[in-house]
Amino acid sequence: MPRLRRNDRPRAAPATGGRTHASGLGVDPAYARATQYDELFLPDGSPREHYAQLMATLAALPRDEILARVQSINTMLLQRGVTFTVYAEASGTERVFPFDIIPRILTTAEWDRIDRGIVQRVRALNAFLHDVYHDERILRERRIPREIVYSSKSFCAEMIGVDVAGDVYVHVSGIDLIRDENGTFLVLEDNCRSPSGISYVLENRTVLKRGFPDVFRNYEVCPVDDYPSRLLRVLRHCAPAGVSQPNVVVLTPGIHNSAYFEHTLLARRMGVELVEGRDLIVVDNVAYVRTTHGLERVDVIYRRIDDDYLDPLYFHSESTLGVTGLMNAYRAGKVTLANAIGTGVADDKALYPYVPEMIRFYLGETPLLENVLTFDCTNDVQRRHVLDNLDKFVVKNVNASGGYGMLMGAFASAAERTLFAALVAERPRDFIAQPTIQLSSAPTLIDGRLSPRRVDLRPFALLSDSVEVPRAALTRVALREDSLVVNSSQGGGSKDTWVLQA
Amino acid sequence: MLSRVAESLFWLGRNVERAESIARILEVSYTRAMDLYSRDDGRYERLWRSVMQCGGFVAEPKPSAPGLAAHEALAHCVFDRGNSNSIVSAIHVARTNALGIRAELTTELWVVINVLYLSVEGQSLRSALREGPARFLRRVCESTQALAGVADATLSHGDVWRFLQAGRFLERAFMTARMLQAIEVEHEPWHESQRLLEMCCASEPFVHDMRFVPEPRDALAFIALAPDCPRSLRFSFRELGNALHGISDNREGTFGTEPERRLGKLCARLDFASADELFAPGVNIFARATVAEIVALSGDVETAYFPRLPIGIGNL
Repeated sequence: MPRLRRNDRPRAAPATGGRTHASGLGVDPAYARATQYDELFLPDGSPREHYAQLMATLAALPRDEILARVQSINTMLLQRGVTFTVYAEASGTERVFPFDIIPRILTTAEWDRIDRGIVQRVRALNAFLHDVYHDERILRERRIPREIVYSSKSFCAEMIGVDVAGDVYVHVSGIDLIRDENGTFLVLEDNCRSPSGISYVLENRTVLKRGFPDVFRNYEVCPVDDYPSRLLRVLRHCAPAGVSQPNVVVLTPGIHNSAYFEHTLLARRMGVELVEGRDLIVVDNVAYVRTTHGLERVDVIYRRIDDDYLDPLYFHSESTLGVTGLMNAYRAGKVTLANAIGTGVADDKALYPYVPEMIRFYLGETPLLENVLTFDCTNDVQRRHVLDNLDKFVVKNVNASGGYGMLMGAFASAAERTLFAALVAERPRDFIAQPTIQLSSAPTLIDGRLSPRRVDLRPFALLSDSVEVPRAALTRVALREDSLVVNSSQGGGSKDTWVLQA
Repeated sequence: MLSRVAESLFWLGRNVERAESIARILEVSYTRAMDLYSRDDGRYERLWRSVMQCGGFVAEPKPSAPGLAAHEALAHCVFDRGNSNSIVSAIHVARTNALGIRAELTTELWVVINVLYLSVEGQSLRSALREGPARFLRRVCESTQALAGVADATLSHGDVWRFLQAGRFLERAFMTARMLQAIEVEHEPWHESQRLLEMCCASEPFVHDMRFVPEPRDALAFIALAPDCPRSLRFSFRELGNALHGISDNREGTFGTEPERRLGKLCARLDFASADELFAPGVNIFARATVAEIVALSGDVETAYFPRLPIGIGNL
């Protein structure tokens, strides 16, 4: 294919009609009605500059060829075991995480803005965690209401006064971004416990390169596969004081966890042991793994188990996933947990509206990434407004995640709205409300044509003595038409996400 | 290495080997049974009874109508999920163990295990009969052999590989001993010893090794004692010993652990006794005692490397 000049780029689908096509693939007429920002198409139907080459490459591939390659990619994902477990279904349901072959491309300039915004936000979140478990300056100065922090289910009183290695709480975080009608990135939520998704980033790139090597032509895409080594560096960095060659392990709840594939992949790529709670034993405040040659000391645990299940002595006493005595070893500073215990208070949805305040308070900076407008249901005026206009709001339970426990007012039935109104009135602390936001869309291959589907973006941040944001972000896509929920448990898929090199 | 990982590797090795052995036993027997199909002298039923015994199944195939014994054996030995010795069960257990130690396996190895699992899960007795049982069984054999090859070629040959090898060769010795136990050579010496050799992939190596026209009894001795036949008892024990000594780092010819001691005694017997001596009480009786020893040996490995009880502070 000849290299395209700027002014004879192939015309992609016009926003109206949809009969002409950007490739062997047709374009869904739904694009004609679209009012949201689209990642690829401009309102006049031509592709954005950084997508033009991709569209030209796809145009050169026959439709049947594309569909056959999609099929082979799906087989590859199934055979490689890139699956997740859906809890609501019959036990042990393994499903391939749907993968869409049209990549999402971010320019260097777009990424730089995201990078700086996330570095700032994660620094503030970490400072907040240190503060609420030590001096409580932000509470004493009444910048955040004390009761919201203390009433958080994830606030961990056992962590008060505990010093964690290097003062690092959120070693790994995932900050979910969306794009409004103008294409501006906004933070939808923070994930400070153990965000997952990086394995899909790595696998998506692998299978796209195998299935569609041609689409990488003329692009300089930042590699994603250095993530595990970066993570390992962060984990080794936070070892307990005095340990020079720390023994790092990944702690998983086991094969039935929805992110088990990810746990195995990270352990494998970092070259560390993947352990379950039953492999660990704590003796005299020191954590060990049980090996074929006796007990072996463990210094850093990258744990993918929630706080509540970590140690039956402190948390759920009936849990068998955790390790008896681990909390004592942790508080004694003999073992590092990543992330720290009690980080959930920072990503409690009721505290989310206060993150910009944290940035101003701890860093003295103006937030680079804005929040989505959020209504606090504990405030009488705001709650009344939400309840009067439920059809225009998204109401989220602050204790739920993964797309569970939320009401999409615009799509809900009257009965569902009544139920949520009652819940909000009864337990206002448990809910926040946000106006229904138009997430940006990206063309997605559905039934052999390009249809607009809503996407978000989850970049991951790693924190040691500074914050780094690897250029490996997850784009989740809502595969159902008009759906605004991208979670995999709710029929979401993902796309390979390219950050272009400068 | 984690005890749990070692345990899963051991059982992964055992179950893959078991699936392969059962598949080959069935394939060879199914083909041989075609010669006996129209006979009503009990030989056909006797053959299938011995097949069931090889797999450790006590159920007697009902001699209701010709051909049914074969179908019943297939249903039971291949597709019966309630039976832990069947091929689908063995592959299911193997895959579950592999999943639990996914982080220790190479992607190449995992994909072979997963593809084997997915292909067997998609089969039923009916589809296997439609395809032709021999073809289906051959595919299982080929996939399990490919799996062993990928393991050899991609795993680092440290303890991960050694525990896998230990499981594999313990199971191989076990299945070979089972076959020696179930075979009834006195009724039709030539046919049955030939079937035994084929079930151990050894008919051509056997002919090649013999410098004279062999007697059926030579075939039995070959299966027990041939030093280089990869499915003989002696070879399997030696590979198992290599794996165990590699794990413990004890010098060969010595012992430091209970499994090494028991295995050493078994090896010494095969190394220094003649076939006549071994088979003096009867081949089946010798084989039965060997099966019992291998079961005890498996228990020794478990106690030594993945005990049920938490390891005490004494091991610190």
